[in-house]
Amino acid sequence: MQLTIKNLSKTYKNGVRALDNLNLEIGTGMFGLLGPNGAGKSTLMRTIATLQSPDTGTITFNGIDVLKDQMSLRKILGYLPQSFGVYPKMSAEELLDYFATLKGVSSKSDREKLVKEVLEITNLYEVRKKYVAGYSGGMKQRFGIAQLLLNSPKLIIVDEPTAGLDPAERHRFLNVLREVGTNCTVIFSTHIVEDVKELCNEMAIVNGGRILKQITPIQATKEIEGQLWSCRVERDDLDALEAKYNVLSSSYNQDNSLTVRVYATDQPSGQFKSVEPQLDDVYFIALKQDAPVEA
Amino acid sequence: MFSTIFKYELNYWFKQPTFYIFAAILFSISCFMAAATAGIFDSITASTGSANMINSPFGVHAMFSGMTIFMLFLLPSIIGASVYRDYKSEMHTILYSYPFTKGNYLMAKFLSSFLMVLIIVAFMGLGLIIGFRLPGTNADIITEFNAFAYIQTYLVYIIPNMFLFGSIVFGVVTFTRNIAAGFITVVLLLFVQGIAEGMIGEVDNRFIAGLLDPFGSEAIGYYTQYWTVAEKNDTLLPIGSLIIYNRILWMSIAVGFFTLVYKKFSFSQNAITFSFRKVKGERLIKHNFGGITRINLPKVRLDYSMKEQLKAAWRMSHADFKYIVRSWPFISILIVGLIFILLMAVTSGKLFGTSTYPVTWKMLLLPGGGFSLFINLLTFLYAGMLVHRSRIFNINQLIDTTAVKNWTLLLSKFIALIKMQVIMLLVIVIAGVLFQVYKGYYNFELDQYFYELYVLKLVHFVIWAMMALFIQSLVKNPYLGLFILLVISIGIQFVPFVGIEQAIFKYNDAPGYRYSDMNGYGGSERPYLVYKLYWLLSGGLLLILAGLFWVRGLPHSFKERFSIAGTRFKGITMVSFFGLMMAFFAVGGSIYYENNVTNERKSSKERELSQVTGEKKYKKYEHFLQPRIVDVNVSMDIFPKERNFEASGTYIMVNKTAQAIDTILLDHNNYPSTFKFDRENVLVSEDTVYNFDIYKLDKKLVPGDSITLSFTIKNKENTYMRKHSPVRSNGTFINSSIFPSLGYFGGGLTDDKIREKYDLPKNDLKPLPSDSTALGNTYIAKDADWINFEARVSTSEDQIAIAPGYLQSEVVKDGRRYFHYKMEDKILNFYAFNSGRYEVKRDTWKDVKLEIYYHKGHEYNLESMMDGMKASLAYNSENFSPYQHKQARIIEFPRTGGGFAQSFPNTIPFSEGVGFIADVEDDEAGGVDYGFAITVHEMAHQWWAHQVIGADVRGATMLSESLSEYVSLKVLEHEHGKSKMRKFLKKALDDYLMRRTVERKRESALAYNDGQGYIHYQKGSLVFYALSDYIGEETLNGALKKYVEKVKFQKPPYTTSLEMIEYITEVTPDSLQYVIQDMFETITLYKNRIVDAEVTELDNGKWQVDIEFNVSKYRNNEKGRRFYSDNKVDSLSYKTEKMRKPIYSVPMKDYIEIGVFGEDDSDDKNEVELYLKKLKITEINNKITLILDQKPLEVGVDPYNKLIDTDSNDNRRKL
Repeated sequence: MQLTIKNLSKTYKNGVRALDNLNLEIGTGMFGLLGPNGAGKSTLMRTIATLQSPDTGTITFNGIDVLKDQMSLRKILGYLPQSFGVYPKMSAEELLDYFATLKGVSSKSDREKLVKEVLEITNLYEVRKKYVAGYSGGMKQRFGIAQLLLNSPKLIIVDEPTAGLDPAERHRFLNVLREVGTNCTVIFSTHIVEDVKELCNEMAIVNGGRILKQITPIQATKEIEGQLWSCRVERDDLDALEAKYNVLSSSYNQDNSLTVRVYATDQPSGQFKSVEPQLDDVYFIALKQDAPVEA
Repeated sequence: MFSTIFKYELNYWFKQPTFYIFAAILFSISCFMAAATAGIFDSITASTGSANMINSPFGVHAMFSGMTIFMLFLLPSIIGASVYRDYKSEMHTILYSYPFTKGNYLMAKFLSSFLMVLIIVAFMGLGLIIGFRLPGTNADIITEFNAFAYIQTYLVYIIPNMFLFGSIVFGVVTFTRNIAAGFITVVLLLFVQGIAEGMIGEVDNRFIAGLLDPFGSEAIGYYTQYWTVAEKNDTLLPIGSLIIYNRILWMSIAVGFFTLVYKKFSFSQNAITFSFRKVKGERLIKHNFGGITRINLPKVRLDYSMKEQLKAAWRMSHADFKYIVRSWPFISILIVGLIFILLMAVTSGKLFGTSTYPVTWKMLLLPGGGFSLFINLLTFLYAGMLVHRSRIFNINQLIDTTAVKNWTLLLSKFIALIKMQVIMLLVIVIAGVLFQVYKGYYNFELDQYFYELYVLKLVHFVIWAMMALFIQSLVKNPYLGLFILLVISIGIQFVPFVGIEQAIFKYNDAPGYRYSDMNGYGGSERPYLVYKLYWLLSGGLLLILAGLFWVRGLPHSFKERFSIAGTRFKGITMVSFFGLMMAFFAVGGSIYYENNVTNERKSSKERELSQVTGEKKYKKYEHFLQPRIVDVNVSMDIFPKERNFEASGTYIMVNKTAQAIDTILLDHNNYPSTFKFDRENVLVSEDTVYNFDIYKLDKKLVPGDSITLSFTIKNKENTYMRKHSPVRSNGTFINSSIFPSLGYFGGGLTDDKIREKYDLPKNDLKPLPSDSTALGNTYIAKDADWINFEARVSTSEDQIAIAPGYLQSEVVKDGRRYFHYKMEDKILNFYAFNSGRYEVKRDTWKDVKLEIYYHKGHEYNLESMMDGMKASLAYNSENFSPYQHKQARIIEFPRTGGGFAQSFPNTIPFSEGVGFIADVEDDEAGGVDYGFAITVHEMAHQWWAHQVIGADVRGATMLSESLSEYVSLKVLEHEHGKSKMRKFLKKALDDYLMRRTVERKRESALAYNDGQGYIHYQKGSLVFYALSDYIGEETLNGALKKYVEKVKFQKPPYTTSLEMIEYITEVTPDSLQYVIQDMFETITLYKNRIVDAEVTELDNGKWQVDIEFNVSKYRNNEKGRRFYSDNKVDSLSYKTEKMRKPIYSVPMKDYIEIGVFGEDDSDDKNEVELYLKKLKITEINNKITLILDQKPLEVGVDPYNKLIDTDSNDNRRKL
């Protein structure tokens, strides 16, 4: 199973270039798409999910020309958009039955079995008679996964699914996703680095419509091992530090001082200690490298 | 804060393209409508002739205020959406935390959008002003521009109406956060108006209706209902107290509603919801955190085949259907629709206060156009909702990424719409059956209900659903789509204005179908279904287009949608599109061929021109001397099953003139015919267009000599689409006009303005009765006086065939039944043939045999019709002259042939709709037994037409119709008593006053009438009834008897209205001669009313009543203009300080009836006359004092409405 994206470009009417000659190859397993808000993640995912067409470029999945033969892809596609609504006054059971029909499950008993199973997987079985419109955010997100499973998809695209979920829901959601993703291609976009670290066997960092880096999370941290340094500074000294070093991130401590992480091949100065690289660091490095050089 | 929001809102609207779109559409529609009614398209379609000035204040109001109905449907998306917009964009969550008061917020929102509405409406007014004046409009029907007319309508009616509807819609949408709910509210208010309109049928309800109508139109109607053409053209709209009450009532409702909105509104974040079920609170606890589940999805078969997609569409339609039936708009319309039909059932279909039995076809008529409009509105609305629902609820990304086909989605929406229509139609069945049960009528013809509703009606709505889905999938905003659909569906009715008349060019148009208990749909459903098949095919094309433009994924620009549609147009889609297209053109082509090539079809323009050339070509033959038919011997073979006829006959014609005749003018029709004279001749002119042939005889026909014409005639072969014969499978009714006649008998165009355009002289219709040279013909036939008549009629074995005359023989041979009828006495050249599967009821009156041929199941009123024949025979023969025949027969024919009865010599075909199924209530309060009344009237024609027949001059119908109606009233009075007459007279008066307002040419006095029904029936009956009251029934009938004696069965010259009036004048005392002048020779109308009445109990136990009353009368000229002078004698006038204008009157020495009424002691408290006397009146204002023994309860001037009075409601006053 292989998703191949070649030379994909898309410019919106308002002049935003959401995809800029993007190339990407994705195999089986969980693939994390990491990028800040507005990086073009959603555009990329919607384009793969046949919801919009690019200006140029090709996408193929398992021999299917996605942009030409949208129907064939939809048959094996599971898609969960960043935000979605549901029809009012319909219970999860009814709505899933409706989706099963949409997805081509023709026999009634098949649909019943299937709906029951996905409800159980997503732990919604007890509330199956309740209107989905009244679900909490997490439940609705699980419902999203439930509907996605109905056609046993080979390509699953989930767009920022964990945004706004409480920690328990987030965990649960990621577990289910992981479970689902063992035998197929899952593309998973997020701006939360933790998600990728926990789940993905491969990842790409996107910004400005381009792939900045494509790598495995383990490889990613390994690459920068020994090049990350941290130190405590007072708030007022930060600007000076930033001017001098490649500061990746800084965070407040309780005493109003800051912990600063710096990327450098050698120890910048004596006050810095070497630290374990995190995926966050990889992310920030990638974004920083891409940033336009200010004059 | 107010002005900030207000300005911001205005700014918003002025930036919106929709504002300009709405204004442009409505401006163009108004402009088009105005120009079209003003005759701008006269060069391509028939001339717009009218006596009315279409831009008179009256006309402007009707049009301007009528056009604003369109505006109402925009209110939800303009005024309704003003607050809703903030919810939709979720601005409200932020906005409502800002520091402004809700008063500011609501007022600014409402007033700004209200202002936008008023601006758009002003554009409509502008459209009208310009439309009337566009070059090419007919200057004859346009009067001067009167700005006041527009301003009055705009200020007094439109602004308040928009405020009313606007504030209600504003409230509803704000609280429900649902634009559709606002839309439905508009429909419901229109429904209130519909009820008000339905009420005006009954005279007594008009005040209430005037109050109830939210538009105020019925309130105007209350004052203008009897306005003549001249009054409509010249007068400004009245400002009567009822109009003021109406405006105050509805304005208070509007203000009240707005106040309620203000009170209830709070800056909360949730919409108000209703729930009938109490929901118990439940504490929700989360558990089962972070468990790991093994996913083992069952193996299921995914099937995307055609078959499964179809099944899927069906299943998915359930969800959409559920959504519709659970939504408030649908539920409220459903309930209101049911109430609407039941209300209609209770109130409609009454004739003189008498209803009919609730037979199924009657029930099916109840929903009428109103309910159809409801269904269409729902279809348009929900087509939009279903198409856009996934986007509205933001679930579209989930749906669009499934492998479902576009057409499957579209089809599921389509099926859901049809299901909704099925439910709506079911309402008709339920309402119909409920009403039948309520009336105790248990003959439920469910098969007919279902056939008509689910075969004939449903297909009509389905075709609209197709169009609706097409439009709604093109347009992003469902309310804009709805508006476009409304414009299309209403606009289609107006395309004949631009000369597009054929149904195949008007979406979903088709010839109608009608049902009769006797004859079913009689084949009328066949062309209907062919047309509907044609439109279904076009609808199929629209659905494919809708599929091509179906939005999948994120919204696209229109350009993108076109290119996507292009890529989708391939394979099976393309094949089925072209397949459907071919079928569409094939069916359309064959309809076109049938209508335009196989048969001749004339556009209304062509018909107008054809009348013109016909008149120019043949008018010169109008007074050409011709022999006259003296003997008719015909044979008519009717084939009910094949619906064919074959006829033949011979006329013997005698030259009754003093000159030799060498030319025969034969006027016939376009049935295949042959003609043969028994004398050598040459056909010198054969005209296949006008079917008018001219034969030249080799040997002249000398005076007294006779000639025989033999002819055959049959119908062209019927096709599936078209019937070429008047024969029905049951209940055939063919009259003698199917046979040839002699001479030119053309009417020509009547409208003088149109005639002028074609260089035709003015058409003065018929000569005056004083023209002694014009009395040579009866008004029934130009080619005969009195004839001998003999007929052989045959039909299928199971039917009875009837023609005038006495049955000589009846034979059954080879599955056919043959009848031979022969008349013993001479009759007018006026006869008919009937055939049907009849039951016969027989009776006798003296030695006259009476028969009623009726349809099995229609037995309800046979007794009373039999009584009617007897009563009429008795009254006429006692008062006027003996009955000339020995039999009289009534023959029922289907209502599809018309709702009338017609009197042929001793034979009266009688429609099933006007008496056979009347449900007459026996009690005093019940309505008039019109089956009985009509029977008496038709029987009376055996005297008043078949004995006394007027010459072919103006006023002739007074001798037949007015007299027959007079007899009918008199017989009713003798049977049922005087008290029931008031209802009848009031109805006749109302009908007369109403119908004269739409006179197109001229209204003449009764003695000179041009044959208008409202003059010879309604006015005629009132006049003769009043006359019999003034001079006495015996005196009047005595004069008439003498007159009949003199003129019955006379030879030419024939009698006239003036001759009859001479006989009446002779027996009328001098003091009452003015009555004859008022009633017969002029159009005179009274305005009588009680001004004041007071009662005091006297010491001696008696009662004193003081009555003040006004009596005045005025005359109308033939255009309806008033005048008051009489032979140079000055008119009277009367004015008090309180009155703005004086009352004028023609000088009077009139006798006017004054009555005082009380109750008797019985439980029913029947009305009794305490005083009733005709007083001589010479002044307008009068006061009298009466002393009475019994307690008076009501007083009246002309209390029985015997006189023609323009307001019959103020003649009585309760004390």
